[in-house]
Amino acid sequence: MENRESKISVKGLRKSFGHLEVLKGMDVEVGEGEVVCLIGPSGSGKSTFLRCMNALETITAGEVIVDGYNLSDKKININKARENIGMVFQHFNLFANLNVIQNIMLAPVELKKMTKEEAHKKGMELLAMVGLAEKAEVYPSKLSGGQKQRVAIARALAMNPDIMLFDEPTSALDPEMVGEVLEVMKGLAKDGMTMVVVTHEMGFAREVASRVIFMDEGVIVEEGTPQEVLLHPTQPRTIDFLNKVL
Amino acid sequence: MSFLNLIMENGLFLLAAMGKTLELTLLSLVFAAFIGLFFGLLNVSKNRAFNIIANIYIDCIRGVPLIVLAFFVYFGIPMATGVRLEALTAGIISLSMNAGAYMAEIVRAGIQSIDKGQMEAARSLGLPYGKAMRKVVLPQAIRVMIPSIINQFIITLKDTSILSVIGFPELVKAGQIVIARNFETFRMWAIIAVMYLIVITTLSKTARALERKISHGK
Repeated sequence: MENRESKISVKGLRKSFGHLEVLKGMDVEVGEGEVVCLIGPSGSGKSTFLRCMNALETITAGEVIVDGYNLSDKKININKARENIGMVFQHFNLFANLNVIQNIMLAPVELKKMTKEEAHKKGMELLAMVGLAEKAEVYPSKLSGGQKQRVAIARALAMNPDIMLFDEPTSALDPEMVGEVLEVMKGLAKDGMTMVVVTHEMGFAREVASRVIFMDEGVIVEEGTPQEVLLHPTQPRTIDFLNKVL
Repeated sequence: MSFLNLIMENGLFLLAAMGKTLELTLLSLVFAAFIGLFFGLLNVSKNRAFNIIANIYIDCIRGVPLIVLAFFVYFGIPMATGVRLEALTAGIISLSMNAGAYMAEIVRAGIQSIDKGQMEAARSLGLPYGKAMRKVVLPQAIRVMIPSIINQFIITLKDTSILSVIGFPELVKAGQIVIARNFETFRMWAIIAVMYLIVITTLSKTARALERKISHGK
């Protein structure tokens, strides 16, 4: 891992909402092609941490460098940085006013990354990849949760990002739809995508993650391989958490 | 004189005045839409200074009766600057400033009714704020806003009657002119009331139909 290029480098990250400090100094390095799963109890700051990785939250203190962009620097072009960082949300957030293929084409076309024809072709390829080619002209309201999330992944991939962030991508899904979304994510991981995944799916973390980070109350409590963290945790808080969820 | 005779005699004149009323309403609403969009966007911005500017405008306009605003624009400003405004111009300015403040609130409420995940998802793809607003949030917000905009249309249409005080020949002024000639106070005001009623009822029925259509389309 040491030889790999570092895609995400976080040093001393702190984030406060008013007087409430949610992240209390976090240091994380993510190498190219790594799949890092963030686990921990609700309110531990996992999602906030992830949202700092593409500056959806402003950074109170510390340094966040993602794909060469220093997000803690207010002078950088944040839009340019975000083009390389795909994000998938718990509640999908598909654009309700656009159909599936338009959802996917919007950013590449608007940001002049591709012509309409190229974006359409790329969009259809991505839809085929997530198994939804036949839904291209359908509006998001007509899709199931699992389908929405797969479209959301395709939409993020259309920008050819170097990094994908997943914020509890399966938490809002009915149980029978979790598998189809995790399958797509496993495929991405296999293709070497750098991924940071906030998740409650311990099975996924065990199978796919190159590293698992257990967070609680705004700090990293324990990190290591899935073997280490999930099967042989050493910290009492990790053991306690895993006992509750497994 | 009977209603029928009054209508035969003054119908065209009153219809023309109704036309003027609608013209004034439509023009004012077009300007009000721009004013409303401008201040509405300032209001939902993350910039505190923008929020304050929008709120000052909205509070000032809503805190002053339209008739005072119309007097101020039509009589006050020419006194101070020496520039005389036509009644139509003064009318459009006062009405659009007034309706603009309410439109700003409609725009704000419309934008805020859209789940903020929509904006976040657009931004996360690298779209700048303005583009995300234009391509994703506003198209959805406008759907939500349509019934309120039609309501504002109705309110502004009724408010045009206030501009009879600055001599603009809208429907109420036209009624006063006719009554000054024939003294048919009771029947004439009844006719004018019915004219307003027909136009406004048609509009509010349209608003309700659209509202139903929009909530179904969700």
